[in-house]
Amino acid sequence: MIFFRRQLPLLITLVTGIVFAAQYYVPHPASEEMLTTVTKWLQIIGGFALVLGVTSLFHLHAVKIRRKEPGWGYSFVLYAAMLGTIAVGLWLEGKETVNGTMTAFGWIYNFMMVPLQGTMFAILAFFIASAAYRSFRARSREAAVLLIAAIIVMMGRVPLGEYLVPISGDITQWILNVLNASVRRAILIGVSLGAVALSLKIIFGVERAYLGGGKE
Amino acid sequence: MTFAERMLKIDRRIIFAVIGLCTLLPLLYPVGLAIRISPEVKAVHDYIESLPEGSVFLLSLDFDPASKPELYPQAVALLRHAFKHNLRVIGMTLWLPGTGMANEVITRIAEEQGKVNGKDYVFLGWSPGGSSVIINMGQDLYKAFPTDYGNQPTKGLAVLNGVQNLRDVSYVVSLAAGTTGIETWYVFGKDKYKFELGGGCTGVIAPGLYPLLRSGQINGLIGGLRGAAEYEVLIGQKGRAVAGMDAQSVTHFAIIILVILCNVFYLSIRRARQAQGQGSHS
Repeated sequence: MIFFRRQLPLLITLVTGIVFAAQYYVPHPASEEMLTTVTKWLQIIGGFALVLGVTSLFHLHAVKIRRKEPGWGYSFVLYAAMLGTIAVGLWLEGKETVNGTMTAFGWIYNFMMVPLQGTMFAILAFFIASAAYRSFRARSREAAVLLIAAIIVMMGRVPLGEYLVPISGDITQWILNVLNASVRRAILIGVSLGAVALSLKIIFGVERAYLGGGKE
Repeated sequence: MTFAERMLKIDRRIIFAVIGLCTLLPLLYPVGLAIRISPEVKAVHDYIESLPEGSVFLLSLDFDPASKPELYPQAVALLRHAFKHNLRVIGMTLWLPGTGMANEVITRIAEEQGKVNGKDYVFLGWSPGGSSVIINMGQDLYKAFPTDYGNQPTKGLAVLNGVQNLRDVSYVVSLAAGTTGIETWYVFGKDKYKFELGGGCTGVIAPGLYPLLRSGQINGLIGGLRGAAEYEVLIGQKGRAVAGMDAQSVTHFAIIILVILCNVFYLSIRRARQAQGQGSHS
C-alpha cells in the first residue's frame, strides 16, 4: 500500500523530529530515559550498518571480477585479506592479546594494518611538496597574500622558523587565532544554519530524498 | 628551453629525494632546537595539573593508524601526565580502526607508570554509533559500555567508583583525526553534560578548531606533532614528538624554499614573455 511507503515514513519523521527537538530542552527523567532508549537503538542500527558496508564491498568486487574490469586481480587480494582477517578474528574472539601475549589477530593489526595505513598517509608528504612546487604560484595579488601567509605559518609552526625569525611565531598565532578563527566561524555559522534549514525541511516533509525516488 | 622553464619542469622524483633527505638526516643527526610553548597547549597541561588526585580523566583516542605519527605522541604525553598526577584514566575510541592501537598505548604507558588495570585505568574500547555513544555515555556509562575492552564488567571497577555518566568526569580530551572527534564531543557531549573538554588533533585540521578554542567551547588544543612536542616539554619527558620536530623544521623550510624558487622561476618566465610581447608589439 502506498500509505506504508509514503505517508507512514513521513509521519514517523515528523513526530520523531519534533519530539526529539523538544526533548533536548526537557530535563525530566522520562525525557532522559526516552533519549537513552533511542540512542541505544541508534547504536544497534549502527552495528548493522557495518554489516551492510562489508556486504556492499563484497558485492562491488564480485562485479569487478565478473566483468574483468582493470585491476580485478586485486579484488581477490581484498577477498583474501578480508576473509583471512575475519576468520582469524572470529577464531580468536577478537582478542589481540591473551595473557599479555599477542595473538595472530593482534599480529595482523600491529604488523600489517598499522604500518600499511601509516605508509599511505606518510607518502602524502612527498606529493604535497611536489604539488607545492608546481602549483603554489603568485598569479594574482590574492594568491600572493595567500602565499605569504602560508610561508609565515610554515615558519612559525616549527622551531627552526621561530629560531631564525622569532616574530614568525607570534604572527602565526595571530593568523590562526584571529584571521583564521573569524573566517572559520563565519563558515561554521553558515553551515549550521544550512543544516538547521535542511533538518526542518526533512522533518516537515518538504525534503523527501531519503525516501528514495527523488523530490516531489 | 630556458633554465627557469627547465627548473619548473623538473622531475618530481628529485623533489621526493630532497624531501626524503630533509626528513631522514635530522632524524639521524638531531639538532634539538628549542620549542616554544603555545598558550593553547599550555592550557590543556595546566588544567590537568589543576585536577585533584583521583579525578576522572577521559581520553578518547579518535584516530586510526594513518594519524599515528601526530596523535600517538600526544596520547603518550597526556597519559604520562595523567598517571603522574594519579588521575583515574578512562580510555576509549570512537574510531573502529584505531581500537587496537588505543588499547596498546594505554596499556603500555600504564605499565610504564606502574598503574593497575581496573584500579587506576580502564580501556572501554569501541562501540558503534559515534555521537550516539557519547549520548549514551552521558546518560549512563554502564549501559553504553557494559564491559571494558577485556570483557570485564564495568560495574564495580574501582577506577569507576562514583562515576555514573559523563557528568561525573572531570576532564575529557579527544585526540581526533577528523570527523567524529572534538566537535562531536562538544555538540553531543559537553554542551549537554557539562564536562570540561580539551582537544588534540592532526595539524591539517587544527585551523578548523580555533573557533572552538576562541569561544571557550574547548579549553585547550594540542595541534599536530608540534603540539605533542610542546606537551612533552611541559611534562619534562621528551620523546618521539620532540625528536621529530627537527625533521619537521627542515622539511617545512625545504617546502618554503621550493615554493620561493617556483615563484622566482615563474615570475622570470612571465617577465621574459612580457618583454618578448612588448618587443614584437614595437
